[in-house]
Amino acid sequence: MTEATERFFASLPSRAPVALRNSVLLRPVLTGTLQIDLVEGPTTDHWRVAMAPGQAEVTRADGEADARWTSNPRLFDRLVTGETQALAAVLRNEATLSGNVLLWLMFRRFFPDPPGTRDPRQRARERNGRPR
Amino acid sequence: MKELVSILDGNTFLVSDRRGDIEPSHDRPTGLFSFDTRFLSTWLLTVDGDRLHALSIDDSESYRTRFFLAPGEPTHYLDARVSVLRTRTIGGSFDEQLTVLNHAKEEAEFIVRVEMGADFADIFEIKAVLRKKGRTEATVEPNTLRLTYRREHFHREATISSSAAAEVDEAGMTFRVRIPPHGEWTTRLHVATLIFGARGEDFRATTPLGGTRSVGSIQVEQDELISRAPKLGCDCEPLATAYNRSLRDLASLRYESITFGSRLLAAGLPWFMTLFGRDSIFTALQVLPFLPDLVRPTINLLAGLQGTRLDDFRDEEPGKILHELRYGETAGFEEQPHSPYYGSADSTPLFVILVDEYERWTGDVQLIVALEDHVRKALDWVDTYGDLLGTGYIWYETRNPDTGLPNQCWKDSLDSISFRDGALPAFPRATCEMQGYAYDAKLRAARMARKFWNDPAYADRLEREAAELKERFNRDFWLPEREYYALALDPEGRPVDALTSNIGHLLWSGIVDPERAGRIAGHLLGPDLFSGWGVRTMAEGQGRYNPIGYHVGTVWPFDNSIIAWGLWRYGLRDEAGRVCRAMIEAAKYFGGRLPEAFAGYDRSLTDYPVEYPTACSPQAWSAGTPLLMLRVLLGLEPQGEHLIIDPLVPPGMGRIELLDIPGRWGRVDALGRSRDETS
Repeated sequence: MTEATERFFASLPSRAPVALRNSVLLRPVLTGTLQIDLVEGPTTDHWRVAMAPGQAEVTRADGEADARWTSNPRLFDRLVTGETQALAAVLRNEATLSGNVLLWLMFRRFFPDPPGTRDPRQRARERNGRPR
Repeated sequence: MKELVSILDGNTFLVSDRRGDIEPSHDRPTGLFSFDTRFLSTWLLTVDGDRLHALSIDDSESYRTRFFLAPGEPTHYLDARVSVLRTRTIGGSFDEQLTVLNHAKEEAEFIVRVEMGADFADIFEIKAVLRKKGRTEATVEPNTLRLTYRREHFHREATISSSAAAEVDEAGMTFRVRIPPHGEWTTRLHVATLIFGARGEDFRATTPLGGTRSVGSIQVEQDELISRAPKLGCDCEPLATAYNRSLRDLASLRYESITFGSRLLAAGLPWFMTLFGRDSIFTALQVLPFLPDLVRPTINLLAGLQGTRLDDFRDEEPGKILHELRYGETAGFEEQPHSPYYGSADSTPLFVILVDEYERWTGDVQLIVALEDHVRKALDWVDTYGDLLGTGYIWYETRNPDTGLPNQCWKDSLDSISFRDGALPAFPRATCEMQGYAYDAKLRAARMARKFWNDPAYADRLEREAAELKERFNRDFWLPEREYYALALDPEGRPVDALTSNIGHLLWSGIVDPERAGRIAGHLLGPDLFSGWGVRTMAEGQGRYNPIGYHVGTVWPFDNSIIAWGLWRYGLRDEAGRVCRAMIEAAKYFGGRLPEAFAGYDRSLTDYPVEYPTACSPQAWSAGTPLLMLRVLLGLEPQGEHLIIDPLVPPGMGRIELLDIPGRWGRVDALGRSRDETS
């Protein structure tokens, strides 16, 4: 397990109020436990994220979950640094997703932009001689 | 005459020649496809070494074709001593029953051979020939041929098995058969298309709805869907045919998303057998009065896949609604951006429009409440990332120069956006119809904010912004000397002045100053835009006009349905009726199945609408066209808990009766009749 992944999970509780911001009426969609299993040879690292509107609680345990992501830890590192994208990884079968997919789609909001990405507005306005 | 024969079930489809054969092709999507992968690229039948030819074909069902074949060239068949029946069906897997009939008085021996092969091409690799990066293998087993493709963890397999004893080799199966006088021999060939997941099991085995369906269950499901649609009774035979054909095609285009386990509508055969944001939204708008059940899963998935981050490769921004989702190898290995790709600048406001329209028909308040955050994010996108230049308009410019789309409006081909003289504007571009969608989206969201989200301040703000947008738009896009709206603005703010069908979408959105609506209708139905069969995408006389140019002169049925809806909105009912009537007359020449597009030749020049060479058919939003036109002709509009029915049927069309229109009112009937007839 790497530092990037650890830092990522450590940051979730404080980022949840924005990333999982939603009305209570979305509770059924947003509420549930997502387990992330990072498999490397005989070892599996378990990360459980209990999600609710505005909240994410992270624990390290194995158990029942509403949705489950399985991949190797290197792939997950590349997700938490924005270097690759989760759905593409599922399509090429480098990762498996099961259970409540909506929960996972909400979780995607925690992944960062690819490294070095600039605001497209800034680019377009600079080139077209418009300030800001 | 039609060259290719297709069958489909959702996004599994097979395209062959008229004999039922598939030969390797790199320019046309022939073969058996499922989830954007070609599982059969060779499927070729011979009897005693001879190819066959078709005596007749029965392709009346979308998921089944029957070929009646005889060996040799067409001139030789008169005294054929043998003929072949080839019956194929599709439903997740592909099945073909081969029956060889001996017409002679004596017992006869035949060598029946089927050449089989799979190149596992991704749909994106058909046009541009690319070397496969993985390894293909053929494994021979008793009465079974297994064709596999592997690239890292990506694993696809076509398993072909025969019910009759076969000599199997790596390139096909041979059957040495002896048939009694006037007897027959049969085998059933079964082709399973397998998409392996992590644990080595078929991906679809773990999804809620399962992948493979029997022909019986397809039939039941299609019939059930169609039985829920309103019943049409009318004097106009082409309209009745088109309506029934459309319902069947819409039923056959439903597919199940492997990743999301919900039933979605594919956009069109063969190139677009997947989820498109724009296409699915327009189709949903067209079918809402008829098949509202199709709409909710589409809204949910588009909301679930709403953009969350900035990603240049995928043209993704927070709040943006997707353009296209693919399942193939190139999307998985990030060689193409479709996982999903976000390169459309109109799908986001269109999404907001659909959510509101959906509630107005169904009264499904629960969904509107649940989608509040998604709709707000979509509107934020319109005002932030959508407004690339900060001028109060939606602009687009791809950040993926290699595989992104330059034009991110519905006319997404390279030369679709031009000045009158044919010159192409620089990027970013702000096409006119997107500004109309943004205007409508804000007004509709204001209604939702006031009624369901308890946020009147937000509603006021949206209405104020919409009014400002309308004023600004009518100033900046209007060409006073030509009396129509510019197609777009270029980055300098100069109007891109070609005359195009886009002005019809402006009527639909309501952004047109009412005093100008008559002039717009005059252009739409004038000789430069109106071919007699419909409104052309680009007017005759423009620099790039070409009657067989994809977005620069052809007639698109979907486009015409939105234009008719727009004319209706401004009370221009006669004009709307003319567009509908022309399109329904055109449908007659396509057996009721309107293609993606047809040529823009003047009606006086050709007695029938000329098919566009590579048009997709069936295409969801073309299939939705007769439905929306019925809505326009009958003047159907929800108001509160009621459905307003205000028919205006063009002369000569007689009676139109639509029974059991579903909605928040339960079910109601609508009846219209041409004014020229008395009852």
